[in-house]
Parts: sequence; structure tokens; C-alpha cells
Amino acid sequence: MTQEPKSPAMGTLAGMETGADALNAYSKDISFVNSVRPACVTRPKDAKDVQQIVKFANETKTPLVPVSSGAPHFRGDTVPSVGGAMIVDLSAMKKILLVDRKRRVAMCEPGVTFAELIPEVEKAGLRLNMPLLPRKSKSVTGSMLEREPVLMPKYHWDISDPLACAGLFFGTGDEFRTGQAAGPGTIAEQWAVGGVQKAPYGPGTASWHRMIQGAQGTMGIVTWTSMRCEILPSLEEPYVVGSLQLAPLLELAHWLVRLRMVNECFLLNGANLAAIFARRWPEDYVKRKAALPPWVLFYTVAGYEYFPEERVRSQVQDITEITQRLGIEAQRAAGGVSAREILRTVQRPSEEPYWKLRAKGACQDIFYLTNLEKIEGQIETFLHLGEKAGCAASDIGVYVQPIVQGTSYHCEFNLFYDAENRRESDRVREISALGTKALIAEGGFFSRPYGENARMMVNRDAASVAVLNKFKKIFDPNHVMNPGKVCF
Amino acid sequence: MALSKDVYRAFEDVVGAEYICDDPVIMPSYHQTEFAAVLLPQNTAEVQAIIRLCNKFSLPFRPVCTGWTGKFAKGSLYLDLRRMNRIIEINEKNMYAVVEPYVISAQLQAELMKGGLHLNVKGAGSNCSAMLRGHGHLDQTTSGDDRNHLAIEWVTPAGEIVRSGSLGSSDEWFCGDGPGPSLRSILTSAVPPGVTPGVFTKAAMKVYHWPGPAKFPIQGVSPNYSLSEIPPNFMARYYSFPSVAKMFEAENKIGESEIAFELMGFNVAMVAANITTSNEEEEETFRRLSREVQGPGFFVIVAGNSAADFAYKRRVLEHIVAEAGGKSLASLEDPRLEGILLCQCIRISASIRETFRPGGMFSSIPVMGQRDLTIQWAIGAGKAKEPLIAKGLIVDDGGAFFGWGVEQGHLGKTEIFCKFDPQNPEAKAAVEAWHKEQSTRAFKERYFALLAGQDEEIGRGLSNYHIWWNEIQKELDPNRVSPEGGALV
Amino acid sequence: MGLEQYKGDMEMCCRCSTCKFIPMQRVSGHDFVNVCPSISRFNFHSYSGGGRLNIGAAMLRDGFQYTDRLLDIVYNCQMCGACGVSCNYAMDMEVLEPIQEFRIRCVADGKTHPALDKAIAGLRAHGSMVPPTGKRGDWAIGLGLKDATREKVDVLYHAGCLTSYDPSLQKLARATAKILQKAGVNFGIAGDAEICCGGRAYQMGYQEDFLRQARENMALIKQAGIKTVVTACAEGYQAFKVLYDKFKLRGDLEVLHISEFVDRLIQEGRLKPRKKVGLSVTYHDPCRLGRLGEPWVHWEGKKVPGDRFVFDPPKTYRRGTHGVYDPPRNVLKSLPGVTLTEMTRIKEYAWCCGAGGGVSESNPEFAQWTARERIREAESTGAEALVTACSWCEKAFDEAIRETGSALKVYDIVELVEAAIS
Ligand code: SF4
Ligand code: SF4
Repeated sequence: MTQEPKSPAMGTLAGMETGADALNAYSKDISFVNSVRPACVTRPKDAKDVQQIVKFANETKTPLVPVSSGAPHFRGDTVPSVGGAMIVDLSAMKKILLVDRKRRVAMCEPGVTFAELIPEVEKAGLRLNMPLLPRKSKSVTGSMLEREPVLMPKYHWDISDPLACAGLFFGTGDEFRTGQAAGPGTIAEQWAVGGVQKAPYGPGTASWHRMIQGAQGTMGIVTWTSMRCEILPSLEEPYVVGSLQLAPLLELAHWLVRLRMVNECFLLNGANLAAIFARRWPEDYVKRKAALPPWVLFYTVAGYEYFPEERVRSQVQDITEITQRLGIEAQRAAGGVSAREILRTVQRPSEEPYWKLRAKGACQDIFYLTNLEKIEGQIETFLHLGEKAGCAASDIGVYVQPIVQGTSYHCEFNLFYDAENRRESDRVREISALGTKALIAEGGFFSRPYGENARMMVNRDAASVAVLNKFKKIFDPNHVMNPGKVCF
Repeated sequence: MALSKDVYRAFEDVVGAEYICDDPVIMPSYHQTEFAAVLLPQNTAEVQAIIRLCNKFSLPFRPVCTGWTGKFAKGSLYLDLRRMNRIIEINEKNMYAVVEPYVISAQLQAELMKGGLHLNVKGAGSNCSAMLRGHGHLDQTTSGDDRNHLAIEWVTPAGEIVRSGSLGSSDEWFCGDGPGPSLRSILTSAVPPGVTPGVFTKAAMKVYHWPGPAKFPIQGVSPNYSLSEIPPNFMARYYSFPSVAKMFEAENKIGESEIAFELMGFNVAMVAANITTSNEEEEETFRRLSREVQGPGFFVIVAGNSAADFAYKRRVLEHIVAEAGGKSLASLEDPRLEGILLCQCIRISASIRETFRPGGMFSSIPVMGQRDLTIQWAIGAGKAKEPLIAKGLIVDDGGAFFGWGVEQGHLGKTEIFCKFDPQNPEAKAAVEAWHKEQSTRAFKERYFALLAGQDEEIGRGLSNYHIWWNEIQKELDPNRVSPEGGALV
Repeated sequence: MGLEQYKGDMEMCCRCSTCKFIPMQRVSGHDFVNVCPSISRFNFHSYSGGGRLNIGAAMLRDGFQYTDRLLDIVYNCQMCGACGVSCNYAMDMEVLEPIQEFRIRCVADGKTHPALDKAIAGLRAHGSMVPPTGKRGDWAIGLGLKDATREKVDVLYHAGCLTSYDPSLQKLARATAKILQKAGVNFGIAGDAEICCGGRAYQMGYQEDFLRQARENMALIKQAGIKTVVTACAEGYQAFKVLYDKFKLRGDLEVLHISEFVDRLIQEGRLKPRKKVGLSVTYHDPCRLGRLGEPWVHWEGKKVPGDRFVFDPPKTYRRGTHGVYDPPRNVLKSLPGVTLTEMTRIKEYAWCCGAGGGVSESNPEFAQWTARERIREAESTGAEALVTACSWCEKAFDEAIRETGSALKVYDIVELVEAAIS
């Protein structure tokens, strides 16, 4: 669609590296996918560099594996599936392009991490709708493109949120801007008339951002994204509700989200809360786990510009009516963890070392989407299966996140293990495979198919895969974009 | 134009003799188009069979629901979906409803309200399909555009049945995205007007909390419906401001404070249209209200989940309005008018009184996206209406444009109408010229691009999206039996 | 004039489909949302009120082309007027009038329906829309009623064709007479001299036959010096009150439906329903008593040139606002032991019984389908009985119940009043 590109020489590609250390760093991650060594690593500095790389790849049929977050990686999506691949490490693209308080939007390049962006948006009085405790090196763009669940379901109107627009190169090497950013005019021209890159849909009938989200870099490479931001509250009152049973907490979460009374709102089991807050391992972890209730629902009530105390008061009053009806109680702390501490913690990326690695150095995540009725049964199934395979249910972390304003739920199991311990890692691998299968059988929807069980996840829906392959053919006709991922 | 006997028979075998008609005499009721035939499929299987035959015989088809105006190719098949009108599921716990295409918003809304839920009713009116893509009065709290769809059952133009998201993988409707990239990238709105090629045969739509009564207490006889009482914790007001800037400042703060159930930035011409029952009364009311307001304004509905919530929201609203120098329109504080507006805006979604009643036709430039930016453009487009008003070619609405914040001001919608008599050629020509001029200006001055068909220049200006879209269509619809364009709803 | 006078109205149709449904504010669920029997049964848009206008406008523009399908569309419409009410919630335009004129045009062009021709032939021969089963006044034998053509009375009770001749419905005429007797009203009947009001002929499109009946009826009334006519069927009510007025034949004759009259008599204390009836009921508004019973509004004027579809002098549309809705309900509420539960589709947006527009003659299957739908709705209220105020409705419902085996009972309001005062 663009003019025939002139083939750049490989040596001229940005930040080209072929040294063994560099290659080894990208040849495996914490997941169980096969280790495959890339042929080289490039580190583009800007969009032009990216375009050159994509052109080169098309001409030489070199597989590209885009990476935007820093290590450690967990899901196998940044490990090449085929030999001879070129890693496109975007972590050097670190510009924050726009923070606009009035329009509640920010825009940055893919190398920008949560740790880098958060202070910038906060300065403007804004905040991000974050995933749960991303690692410090996690790319904001990467997180949004992966459709990671976010902590504030109330502001999660659409599963594509908080992504607004994106600038990218399709696998063909053609430049494209999604949503409002598409035009008319260049980004600078849009800014000049007061336009920002906020509205996600279009241009035309399609909502192109949805095509690159969840694609794991198989459709193209993104050079910037913009995102909707929320206003920094002037008052925040966090609460925890502990319970032996999950059911009343789910019911409460449903109402909190439905009535849009709370900002952060999620559920963790004791194992995960302990893993997040334990200081000394393993004693502190064990002690905390014992002290914590099996299930904890966390939520924040907030006030903004006008009469914040009154707002919080009226909402707390309304929430109390619901908790009383459900026979549960909202508190300021549970099992030695204060709600305030949780709030402070989840509004930032994880401290180092990354919380999922603190226990045993490695972690396998099994996550999927489901509905309110099925969560409990599915969790029971998975924990039972874990027990049978020799992993105590109380050691398995569980995270339940209401998403898209309560229309579905992200459910995640975190299996902490020692990667050096063969028996342990084999067991986790087995639980992961069997668990995925069992959850699928019980209606779990694996919308983000990663790792070695990805085939199992996508094979459920041949009709959708057939359509996706039509898109793939259009946007990446030479099959250079991260081949072997998703269903391509 | 007519189908051959054999072809007709093939379609007849699918839907039954009673549900196919090719008599030219019925065609004037189908958008004045000479359709090869009109078919009334009953379910997904019939739709699929029809589309397969369309591919076999190279016949283009268009699926339509209640069917406002539309442009269709001569000789195509009209799939009137009115027999596909079931509510498949209302899932209260997971906040969605699954409907077939011909369930109208009024029906779904009435069912939802019984369980404390409601939905985004599109501006086309509650008399239109509940699964439309679009915007409406309630966007402030119920989102809009393509953002309310979850899983969709879709018959592709090649005649395949695709069930997107969780539906295809888990037989559940809660999610429309994945595995992997989302088919919602193209499943934005197939039925109607069928801009996504193929037919949506079922769709899950997000629903929202409804803090009001299970049923509005309507009294009176048409067209004089009113509420016997304003439901508890509800309030509707119209505020006018000294300037557009002040109005937008207040609109934005209301969005940010999350206090409005609905915010509709229309001027008193549209208020007058909504609260009156005839053209004459409307004109008179517009004149009277124009004298009462100080400038541009908006209509707000506040709805509390509890008395305390309501009191808080109301207090903030009054504070914001006062800060921006706003004034409540006293005559609309009359509970009778307040009730009428509540109903018009929540249950009817206004539309027909505002659009068609005066002259029989309206021409509109709708803009989705960034509210402050599009307001800037709309001020000019409104000014450009004034000479037409002065000449009596279009209805005098004070040069109005309208719009509102979507998702509590994160996004927005701005629109401007010319209402006119389509039987008057001079008016028609003037309105067309205005439309062209203002949309061209929007593009040239980088405000937005109005997409109507596949305009080369606009496509080039927008990342060549038109070429990509064409490629997608070619892949999905190799025999090109599902053309673009079509009925409004 | 004819259809041409409604060219502008037909062109105003924006094809919003609102005329297929009850007014949106009244939609209270998924079910019982349709208001037009014709589109509900035949589905193609051309069977809706709007579709009919679209076709009318096209034919005015391009010339009339009669096909079997067109006539199928034309004669499968109860002329119930529900489309117009729903449309006129928002729009300023005539809907039922052009549909009526289209029919008249078809008849004038000789494009008639054989069953309707037959009914009209009967009318011309016997002055009745139903075949005579004896002498017209036989139902009154033994009641000692005055002959209004010979004796001076204040009120003429016009029994109507169906009530007079149908052996199973004559009870309604007798009940009406007894009620009037009990209240001490000085009334009479025309007995064998009574002739059809002509209303159904008009709905069928036979305007001349209607006018002949109207003139003859008015001549009789004038001659007898009658000031007030009471009817107990909605067809007769609408003919005398609305249609005669439309053609400027009514003069200052007062026309009352029995429900209005009884309501008045009860309020004045002249009728005291004391006997417990003990029945839970739901009430069916007959189209021609309800929305189409609204007074005629005489208007003549011109479109004001310019942007709006407005007229000089301003036009007042008949939107169904002033139909007879409350009197029958007041009467039911005053009957001891009667509890009224409303259906979803009531008053101005009531669903038709199916018998209107000659459909009971031209397509009995469709008429019954329409009645069955109403029975289903009545059953959904949980009431024991469906009460109506028109013999044509009662007949339609009786037949539907016979067919479906529904346990629902059907009464005319006069039957219940009679029970409460005897
Ligand atoms: S007749 Fe009235 S309600 Fe029906 S489609 Fe036309 S304008 Fe709409
Ligand atoms: S008059 Fe009655 S049956 Fe005829 S089109 Fe109108 S609503 Fe339908």
C-alpha cells in the first residue's frame, strides 16, 4: 500500500545486536514455552527505525518478535516460536508525548513503563487505571495491548479500555493510526486545533484498535499509544471485607460495581495477599497467610473536587446497607493488612523483587474470563486439581477482578514455584495444563491465549479463528509478525 | 430485476411462501427501491441459508430492522428481520441482555426496568432495534457507539456462522473479544444498517443499573402523557449559560463529578420540540423559551441510588451550575413538564418530534469523539444555518447544534441538524450545500472527517483506512453480496 | 379531492415504524407491544399504517397499479386507527384518513373484494350488514317498548344490525332496553323500520352506500323529532356521532353510547346498581368507541408555504385523545363485586377485536387471529371475564374462545349492568 520500500541493510537497523548474551536473554522466559534463540535483537529509537525493521523483515522474510516491557517475561509471547527471528525491543522508545488533564488523556511510546508514566500523569492531576501490581519494567502500552484487567471496573467501560488510540506499522510496513488519531491531519496538526487522540473507534466502520489488542504482536508493531486517564481523587477511603466464603464477597462486588460506588475493587485470597505483603520469607508469608481470612474483597470509595467528604459519607452509608444485608462487614484492616496499605501498594507497580517471584523465584499464571455464577465452581475445581497434583490449595494465589463494569470477571491462579526444582516445576506445568483443560470444560473463556496451552484455548472456536486468519493475511501477508503466536 | 422462477423457489423453500414477496407493489414501502424481493427470515439458520443462496446466485442482500430511510441498490434482496424479535436472555448478575435484531429498545428497556436495569437507547429512538451501534440521550452513564456490544452471533457474507468471544469458545455471552484479537474490530454494527457485512442474528448488549421505578407512572392519553409523580431521587432541569464556553465548563465538571444520569446539550428549540404535541405549539413554545434563557444550555437528569446519593449529586450540580453562571429555566421546573421531559428523554429518546415532525425531513452532521473540539466546529456550522433560516428554507431553531458527554465526559457526541421540507427543491438544495460546505470545512480544518461512502480524499487523509476496509470486505465477502450503505436503522 | 388531499400527509411519513407499536411510553415489556393487527399478521411493511401511506404516495405519483397483492394489503386492514394514534404521538399528519380514502378509491375503481360486495349487496337489499334472520324488531317482542317512529320519545335506541338479527346477541338489545326502562328513560326504538347506520359500509370503502344509509337514518330521526340517539354498539356510535358529522349530516343530534348514558344515569342517581355481580373483569376498548369515537373536527385550510408542515388556519388532529375511555370504566367500577384489571393495550392504543374494516367478512381467518391475540392478552390479566361494549367485538371474541377453548367469559357491559340492577 505504500511505495515499494528500499531494502535497508541489516547492519543499518537500529541497535542491532547478535551477541550471545543479548540473544540468550530473549530465548526463554518464566513460562513453559520452548526456548528458542533469536537470530538478532534490534532496539529501535523511533517510529522510523521500526518501519525500517518491518520493511527489512518483509523483504528477507525474517520473523519479528516485538517486545516492549523489560524482563522478566512470563507468558511466552516474547519468546520466538520459530528460528531465525529478530527481536524488536521497543523499550528504548521512552517518550511521553502528551498528558492532558482537561481531556483526561495521556500518550506515550511503548518503552514507557508504569513506573515512569505514573508520576507524570499525577503531576497533571490524573491517574491510570492500572493492572494489579505490574512489575516495574512493565510497559504501559504492552499492558493495554494485552487487554490486561484493570483495578477500577467502574472506569472499565469496554474491555479495550484504557487504550484510546495507537500508532503502528502493520505487518506490511504500512503506517496506521487508530481511532480519532487517524486524522484528518498529522498528530501535530491535530494538537494545533485542540484535538487529542482519545476516541477509540474508527476510522470508518471498524474499530481497528481491537484488531491489534490481544494479537501479541502478530498484526503489527505499535509505536505509541494513548490512553484514557482518570482524575486523581481528593479523598480516598479504602476498605477490606474478609470472608470464609467467596459468594457474599462476589455479591457485594457486583453491587459496588453496578452502583458505581467504588474505584479500585478486586478480590484476593489469603495466599496472594500474603505474597504481596510478606516481608521476610518464608516465615512472614506463612504467618500472614494464617492470619488472613481465606478471601478478601478490597475497595476504595473516593471523593473528587466537590464536597468529597459528603460523597464518601453517602456512599459508605449506601454500602453499609448492602453489607448488612449480606451479613458481612467492611473494615479498615484484615489479618494484619490495612486497607490503606493495600491502596498505597496497588497504586504503584510492584516493588522489586516482583511480588510474584518473591516466594519461590518463579510463578505460573493461569487466567481466563468468566461470569459471576461460575467463578466459585471453577475455583473449587482448580484448587482441587492442584491439591490432587500435590500443591496445597492454600499455596495457590487467586485473584478475581470484576471487569467491564461487572459484565465479566477475570479470574487468575498464581502458582508460585521454584524453577530450579524439577519436580516442583513439572507439577506446576501439569496443573497448568490440566487446570486449563478443566476450566475450559467448566465454561472458562481464555480470551488471551498465551504459552504452551494456547492451542487448547483457541481450538475451541474454529469459526472465529478462520476470520482472524483472513485479517492476518491482509495485515501480515508475509507472516513475519511473531509467527506461531495466538492462532497464526 | 425480478428473480427467475427457480431462484424465487429456492428462497421460498427457505422462508416459506408466506414470507417472501417480489410484487413491485410493496416496494414503495421499502424505501422506494426496486428490490428483487423482500424476505422475512425467522432465525439464524434461515438467514444463513438465504446468504448461501445469495452467494450461489450472486445476489446482494441488505438486512434491515424497523427501517428508517436508506439507500439500497436496485435488484438486491431486502432481509426484513422483523420476525427475529426474541429477547434471548437478561442476565442481571452479569449485566447484559441478549437480543435478536428486531427487539426494539422500548421493549428491552421495559423488561430491564422491572429488574432494576436499563440500556443505552440510541438517538434513533426507542422504536428502533436494541442492538444498534450509536449514541443517545443516556450516553453519560450508558456509554455509546460500538462500546456496548459483548458477544455477537454473526452470519458472515459468505454464509458462515461466527460466534464471537466467549460465545464461540464457552457458549456464554459475557465477552465479545478473543481469543486473541477481537472480532469486535469489525463486528461494530451489522444489523442494521449492516455496515459490517453479513447479518448480526443475536447480540449481547451491556446493561446498566436503573435507579428508578419498575415502571414509569405514566398518566394521560396520547399525546398528552405525563408522569403522575416524579420518581423518588429523580430530578430534571434545563440550565442556560452566558456563553458556550461557560456551558461546556459546567458540562465537563458535571461529567467529572459523575453526578448526571443524563446530560443532553440541546438548546430550547429541541426542548420545545420534546414537550409539545404539535408544530404550532412547538413554534410558540420555542419563541417563549428563547426569551427565558440567557444563552446556550443543557438538560440534566440527576438520579440517585439513595436519598443521600441524590442529595449529594443535586448539591454538586447546583454548585457547578452556579460557578459557571448558569440559570435554571424556570418554566421547566413545573413538575408536569419535568415529567414529560424525563419520559421523552429516557423512554422515547426524543427523536421524532425533534427531527421529522416540522418539515418531514432533516439533514444531519453527527460527530463522535472529542466534545470540546467538535463544539468549536459546530459553532461555525450553526452560524452557517442562519441565512437558510432567514430565507425560510429551514426550520428556525436558533442555529442550534447539540451534543453531550459520553461516559461522563470521556468521549462526546456533537450533532447539528437542518430540518426542512423535502418537497421544496430550493430548501433541499440549500441544505445539501450547507451539509457539503460544513463537512468539507471540518475535514480541511482538521476537526473530523464525516464518512459517507468511500471518499478517496478522506480515506487518504485517514491512514488509508478505506483501502484496508476494502481488503477486509473482499476477504469476508468474496462474492460481494453484502454491499455497504443502507438504512439508518 | 379524495386521496389527493392527503398527498402531503402521505409524503410526511418518515418510515419510523412507530405505527407498528403501541406508543413507546406505554410499552411495558416484550409482549403486547404490537398495535397493528395487519403488520403483525402479514409482516411485510406495506401492511403497516406507514407502508400503506408509502404506497398511496407512490400511486399518486406514478399512477395506480392494481395487483392481487395490493388488494390483499388493502382489504386486510381493520381500519382500526391504531397506527394513527401511535404516529400522531409525535407526528402532525393524517394516517387513517388516507388509508380510508385509498379504500374508497379501490371501490370506486371497481377493485372490490367479493365478500364485501356480497355484504354490500345485502345492505342494499335489506338495509342490514348481516343477513336478516326474521323481522328486525323481533328482539323487542314482549318488552313493551315504544315505537319511536310513531310515539314521541326523548331518546332513540338504535340497536344495530348484528344485535337485532343475531339470535345469540339479541340479549344485548334486550339488556339495553331493560336498563333504559329501569332508569325511567323515555325512549323508543325504530323496530322493523330501523336500518343499518352505514358505518361498516364506509370502512369497507363503499362511501355512497354509507351516505345513503346516513341520509335515510337522519331523515327518520328528523321526522320523529329525536334529539338523542343511544347505541350499544361501537360501530353505530361512531357512524352517528363521528361519520355523520364528518359529512355534515348530523346536525345537532346528540349521540351517546350506552356506556356514556349509563355512566350519566348512575351519576344522576337514576340508576342504582345494587346487586352483587362478583366477577373479575378486564375491559376491551372497541376501536370505534375508543380512539375512533373521538368527535370529528371540521377543518379546511391550506398549507402555509415554507419549512414546516403547518396550515392556515391551524389544523387540529384527531389523535385519539378524546375517545370514550372513562365512561365504561366508571360504569364497571360502580357495579358491586366487579373488579377491573387492565390489559397492557388499552384506551387509545387498544388492540382491535379483529372485526373492523370488513375483515370479519373478507378474511375471517385473520379476524379470528386478531381476536385470539386479544383473548391471550385478556387471559394474561388473570381476569375471569373480558368485557366489551360492542356486539361486533363480542361476536369476534365468542368465536375465538370457541376455537381456542379458553375458559375466559365474554360479556358486553350492558349484560353486567343488567345483572346489577335486576
Ligand atoms: S405512518 Fe407515522 S408512525 Fe408510521 S412510519 Fe409513517 S411517520 Fe412513522
Ligand atoms: S388501521 Fe389498524 S389494521 Fe389498518 S394499518 Fe392501521 S393499525 Fe393496522
